[in-house]
Amino acid sequence: MLFRQKAFMFGYSTQRLFLAKELGYKLMGFSIVVNDEQSYNRAISDGYTNVKLLDITDDRALEELPINDNDYLICVMDDHYLNVFLTLSLHSLFPKAIVVALSDSPHTTQKLKMAGASKIIDLYQVSANRIHNILHKPVATKLVERLLSSDEDFSFKEMEIPKGSSLDGIMVDDFDFTKHGVILLGMIDKRLSNQFIFITSGLENRFDVGDTLVCIGYNSDLENFEEFIQL
Amino acid sequence: MLKKIIIQVAFFLNASIRYKQVKEVAFNFLQNQDYHYKKYFDTFMILLIIVSITILVYEVKHDVPQWIDFFDIYVVTTIFTIEYLARLWVYNNWHTLVVKEYGESKFLNRKFSLWKPTRVILKEKLEFILSPTSIIDLLAILPAYRPLRVLRIFVLFRVFKLLRYTKSINQFLGVLSSKKFELFTLLFLLMFITITAGIAIYVFEEKGNDNINSLFDALYWALITISTVGYGDISPVTPEGRVVSMVIIVTGIAMISFVTSVIVSSFSEKLTELKENRLIEEINKSEEFMIICGYGQMTRMFLKSYADEYNRRYIIIDKNKEIVEEAIKEGYRAIHEDASRHDVISKFNTDYAQITLLALTGSDIANIYITLNAKAISTKIRVITRASSDNIAKKCRLAGADSVVMPTLIANRMLFSAITQPIMYRAIYAILTGQHLAQLDEVNLIYHRKLVGKKLDDLKFKEHKILCIGLQVGASGEFIFNPPLRLYLQEEDVLLIMGRKVSIEHFKTLYKEIRYVV
Repeated sequence: MLFRQKAFMFGYSTQRLFLAKELGYKLMGFSIVVNDEQSYNRAISDGYTNVKLLDITDDRALEELPINDNDYLICVMDDHYLNVFLTLSLHSLFPKAIVVALSDSPHTTQKLKMAGASKIIDLYQVSANRIHNILHKPVATKLVERLLSSDEDFSFKEMEIPKGSSLDGIMVDDFDFTKHGVILLGMIDKRLSNQFIFITSGLENRFDVGDTLVCIGYNSDLENFEEFIQL
Repeated sequence: MLKKIIIQVAFFLNASIRYKQVKEVAFNFLQNQDYHYKKYFDTFMILLIIVSITILVYEVKHDVPQWIDFFDIYVVTTIFTIEYLARLWVYNNWHTLVVKEYGESKFLNRKFSLWKPTRVILKEKLEFILSPTSIIDLLAILPAYRPLRVLRIFVLFRVFKLLRYTKSINQFLGVLSSKKFELFTLLFLLMFITITAGIAIYVFEEKGNDNINSLFDALYWALITISTVGYGDISPVTPEGRVVSMVIIVTGIAMISFVTSVIVSSFSEKLTELKENRLIEEINKSEEFMIICGYGQMTRMFLKSYADEYNRRYIIIDKNKEIVEEAIKEGYRAIHEDASRHDVISKFNTDYAQITLLALTGSDIANIYITLNAKAISTKIRVITRASSDNIAKKCRLAGADSVVMPTLIANRMLFSAITQPIMYRAIYAILTGQHLAQLDEVNLIYHRKLVGKKLDDLKFKEHKILCIGLQVGASGEFIFNPPLRLYLQEEDVLLIMGRKVSIEHFKTLYKEIRYVV
């Protein structure tokens, strides 16, 4: 399934090949922006057609990129000074775009936050959390790994309740998910707020048109359930 | 006939689990420095020695009540004797040698000779008996024999016996023994100067000095002077004698400074090693601890987030001395060693403690080597290895790693989820970091025995505001996602649930009951 988002990935190091491959495969619009010829040639030889070579410290060059509101700008430059600088430039040039950046320390994370990154992934913090989870919650960690891995037949899915859905107007507690083989983790109840609410938070929610559900389950069950809510 | 009985007894002891268990307990209390309860035994013995020394010293000038004398003669001495015999007993296994020799004789069709194993056993036992600590132990028993008052001087051996139980004195002697050559050289030099000066003063002053009547007086004076003690009971009266005095006073000062510097330098050289050994000994007393190899960014982050949770039950090993100093400065427990060396990991209590080793150095090759090293020492060590790519991760698993962490892969996956499924990303992030709104947690039936035999439907997850995500079946390890509510829980199952922290804690408290494994 293709995702609607458009994304620009700044940087193309060997460690980001997997990410580029996945994003290129799953997104409708995916571009790579690099500032050195070696990375440019590598991206071209890897089969990417939408690759741009430009001086990323030059605002005028960045402005020329076809970036729209809500596009994803992924800052994964190897040089973390450059990454922070790029985040700041992109945030000032495209304030409505979503800047996602990679960090390697709490100090960099703080700087990226100040520079305007919407989402920051600290390489070592997520790994430290993973080690802790392996030690204390091995079964849970295995499940999360399966959910995150694209190779598994088992995943998370976000689905929006469309107009005319049979779910519209039903209270969450009254609906039996077990017969569909999926588990509802939580939802965005547009009636209440735009925040994600976990199903275990104890609030009484109602399914309405436009609400987004997050479910986990086997891919086939998730697809069947998505079809079901369309009815 | 006797041979037959000995063989039968040897086979019986060799097969007896109870005998082995008893001997192991005795060994742990007497010899195993890593045994958690040994410290209580050592403390008891130290107290007993102090009490017995106090009694014996007090007795020199005072009469003591009869019961105290009885206590010293019978109780203390009996305990010392039992301890001595127990040490002799656990020193080796005679039955194993007899059984081995008997088996070999049968295999080779040769006549079984009892003498061969007996000779080895006696040799080993004699080795024990003649070791300095055993001699001290034996002599420490003697002061109890009251008819011979001279034996009371052996009370000194009770003081020496303290050495066995006090590590700091042993370490002090260990440090001194590392400078044996320098100290012996100085001792010989001291003897040479003392004898030379003694002879000189004897020659010069024997006639004119009333206090020097023999060579012994002269040697006594030389030693007192060279040590800079100088009682003053003997002093030179001739100009030649005074010149000799001046020379040996100057030599004495130089030698004392030299000895002091040798001892101080040996201590400063060994101080780090002593501190590190102490750290290892201390952590070896824990039943469960973690060895973290490499103090890089990931280790820093891990400890920053979770060090309090591990409550000092961890130790960092790094090859780089400066990095180790940095870790110590930041308040962590670190030692300067190479974790890929067999003797380094062997220092840890792999037999009794549950050890988790994190191979988190920046080098994949080093991490694989560390993993292999740990697994070669004990397969019981749980190893979590850091890898930079899929290929390396595969090699880590081949090397025996129980889990592999790939920072790049995790970060890539998180980035991918953040872009393609942002709501899901928020949910996963909340779950992974254990935020109060939602946690993914495990209920292990080993610690929640009340759940055994219960039907999932009866647990009323909805009422507890908990989601039952999955079930790991104990016996097979099979994971059932979204398990049917008709399932019954069995021993060693693990329930995977999600909910608010408070709901999970309440649920766990309801069913908490630990199964104690004997």
